Amino acid sequence: ELADGTTDIVHPEVRAHISSLVAALGGASTEDDGRYHLGDDALEVLRDIKRWIRFYDEKTNRMDVARCIHEANLIEGDLLPILATWPENATDIKYKSRIALACFEIMVPLTWPMERDKERMTINHHRHMPVLELAQVQYKMAIINFDEARILHAAVRTALPSLALPASDRAARDQGIIKLVLFFLRNMAMIAPPPNVQYEGDETQISRSATIDAFSYQDIFLFLLTLASNMGDDFRTEDTSVMEIIYHLIKRVDIEKLFMTEQQVHKAKAHELTSLMNKESAMLKAYTRNGPTRHNRFGTMIWVKREDGKMSSLSGQDALADTTARNLKMDKNKVFKPPRRTKKENKDERDLGPPAKLNARATGQLRSFVEEFLDSGFNPLFQHVRKTIDREASHVMQYHRRQFFYLVAWFLEAERTRQKLKRDSKKNNDDVSSFSLVAGVLNQEMFITLNKAMHEAYEYKDWHELAAVMRCFTQILLTVQAMTESGREDDEEIAENVLSRLFYEESTHDTIANIIRTYKDQGFYYLDAATELVHHFLRILEAYSKQNADMQVRSRKRTRQKKNKDQQQGTEDGVLAEENDDSANDDEAAERTSKERKFDFQRFAARFTPQGVVNTFVKFTRFYQDMDDSQLKRVHRFFYRLAFKQEMSVMLFRVDIIHLLYNMIKGPEPLDKGSGMYKDWEELVKQILRKCFKKIEQRPELIIEMLFSKLQSTAFFLEYGYEKQTTSKK
Amino acid sequence: KEPDSGLGIEEEVSVQKRVRVPNVKLDEERLLGPAGIPKLRKRAAGLKLKGKGHEFSDASRLLSFYQLWLDDLFPKARFLDALAMVEKAGHKKALVTARNEWINEGRPKASNDDDD
Repeated sequence: ELADGTTDIVHPEVRAHISSLVAALGGASTEDDGRYHLGDDALEVLRDIKRWIRFYDEKTNRMDVARCIHEANLIEGDLLPILATWPENATDIKYKSRIALACFEIMVPLTWPMERDKERMTINHHRHMPVLELAQVQYKMAIINFDEARILHAAVRTALPSLALPASDRAARDQGIIKLVLFFLRNMAMIAPPPNVQYEGDETQISRSATIDAFSYQDIFLFLLTLASNMGDDFRTEDTSVMEIIYHLIKRVDIEKLFMTEQQVHKAKAHELTSLMNKESAMLKAYTRNGPTRHNRFGTMIWVKREDGKMSSLSGQDALADTTARNLKMDKNKVFKPPRRTKKENKDERDLGPPAKLNARATGQLRSFVEEFLDSGFNPLFQHVRKTIDREASHVMQYHRRQFFYLVAWFLEAERTRQKLKRDSKKNNDDVSSFSLVAGVLNQEMFITLNKAMHEAYEYKDWHELAAVMRCFTQILLTVQAMTESGREDDEEIAENVLSRLFYEESTHDTIANIIRTYKDQGFYYLDAATELVHHFLRILEAYSKQNADMQVRSRKRTRQKKNKDQQQGTEDGVLAEENDDSANDDEAAERTSKERKFDFQRFAARFTPQGVVNTFVKFTRFYQDMDDSQLKRVHRFFYRLAFKQEMSVMLFRVDIIHLLYNMIKGPEPLDKGSGMYKDWEELVKQILRKCFKKIEQRPELIIEMLFSKLQSTAFFLEYGYEKQTTSKK
Repeated sequence: KEPDSGLGIEEEVSVQKRVRVPNVKLDEERLLGPAGIPKLRKRAAGLKLKGKGHEFSDASRLLSFYQLWLDDLFPKARFLDALAMVEKAGHKKALVTARNEWINEGRPKASNDDDD
């Protein structure tokens, strides 16, 4: 019990030990302008604190020491002033640098990201975590805003002697120090106010902008660039840590805004504001149009006569307006909700956090970092990480793969944006950089990794990783497409090669079709990634198959069936030539499992017509209020392709889909009429509806079938009026 | 003697749980019943669509046609929820066979129409 009668949440002896250690560390002196004076055994004290963290907290899986340290104000009150007494030009004072290192050794575990792993959490975690999460935010604020010294820079300085050694001469201790510093920087980049908690401090001191500003001012970007561009030579196991730091700096940063000049940003912001205000006024207008014209106790009551002599009553004047309003009102009055499963917590959102908003200064700093990174560090770093992931090195964590794919996608998009800007700014200038800067992720090995990751993530149901892989795939497709249009011969040649390899494997086609077909409550981010991939995959593949009419596809199916024999067209020779370095038995086996046949785009596209795929796109469309133009366009093209190119509009003839399409145009919350896609959508919906009514006249049984999902055979019959001939395979 | 005997406190209360009235469900039985799809087919005869040039008003008419039918069939659920329930029930065996029958009913006529 404490003096005021409450019980302490940590063991009182622990608290006593920690506070005596913190007191012994040193303090502000009374003379000397209140400068910090180290205690006599400061180094030993620091080591003791470290030991407490290691052997009490970590070994026994508690968080008591961290809590006591937070309450004793160790970092802000002692460690930072101690680091401030370590002058920049005195790296060679051994005692001081040892103390500095000891400080970081304490700060790293204290700022380590906390996991909410249900299996390992004890009551102590639930007790301390909310406090410690806020404490970490406070630590970060203190560290990156510390006025007397550049703490991040000091961290790099402690690692300098170890960094200076060639990789082969570094002892385990040196490598440990480098790792420690990288982890420290990672923690600083990563800490953010916990979601669903109202942060009470000054947001601007811990925001992404502040972090980037600190990283830039304290020369951390230079440090990262050095490490990234020397990855593979002087640095090996540090690759994932460097990647993590960059990931936490750039995640959810809007690339388009990043590459805008300040004026353009102002313009974009003004534009955004006007469009938002227009949207709001349209919303208000729609409300006042249907809103009550008299006071709320006016007491209108109407009867709606229905079939079979039934009557239903409705109150409120808005029911007078028209049938649609009445129906809507009738529906709204119901309170029953069908039982639903509770939503799972979305880990992805916790990891990625909200979109990063950068101020002008941070935008400039980050942009110059990104450009320099693309110029020098992209290929070495990502090639090395890819290799590390492939050989499943011991320091690779599960989330590194996801971060890798996310970063590759992000930087590919950044590079494309940059090139586009360059091309726009100086027409036909010959020093437009080539795509060789990002060639490190466009080679065959990368595709193997990508395909493998896609299959694995899908199989293990790791949706976060799968979403990242899909994003990465999409960006590679777009980059390759940009290369084919670059007008440089070597780039175009490479692009041709890449595309032919990409579209060669039928198993990839299968996986993509399966992913989009089997979507089920994986969240919007995943949905967005999946539909984006399908959109670009179909589009680019169609263009490519038009160019190369005689494209071949390798199928991994067992081809014992004779059906495919006639389509083989003597490509076995090619297979044999390719695989003749294997032994004879392998040859046979390989032939049995993989065969090549002609690629038929129509047949391929037919994989994206089943109800499951349509449902996924419909689920995506339900978010039409929050979509931007490119997303709206994506769905528009898909529905257009489905209804008018593949003649499977029957798939769209389901009451809930018609309801959605109708509401997008004429409902109470229609698409913004000012948006660019509105006209296209209106036309498409009109055409689909027209087709639907024609079909209903032709085949009255559609009235019933419109309630249900249709099987392929039923859909085929409804569409064409005769059974599908199952024997013909063309 | 006992002052509160009149209050009925001492009478034994049966603690046996009574069976709850089962929830009404929108399932295949209900859909195949007289108020279900047969009624929808009967009503469909009265559904007049204007055709070309009136796509949106037709759509609104079609949607309210379905909505009123569902409101009669299963009044407690909202339109979209009820639609989802119907869709789900559509995968049941009884409904699948019934659906096939309905399609087959229209088949010979439909194939004649198609010759135009």
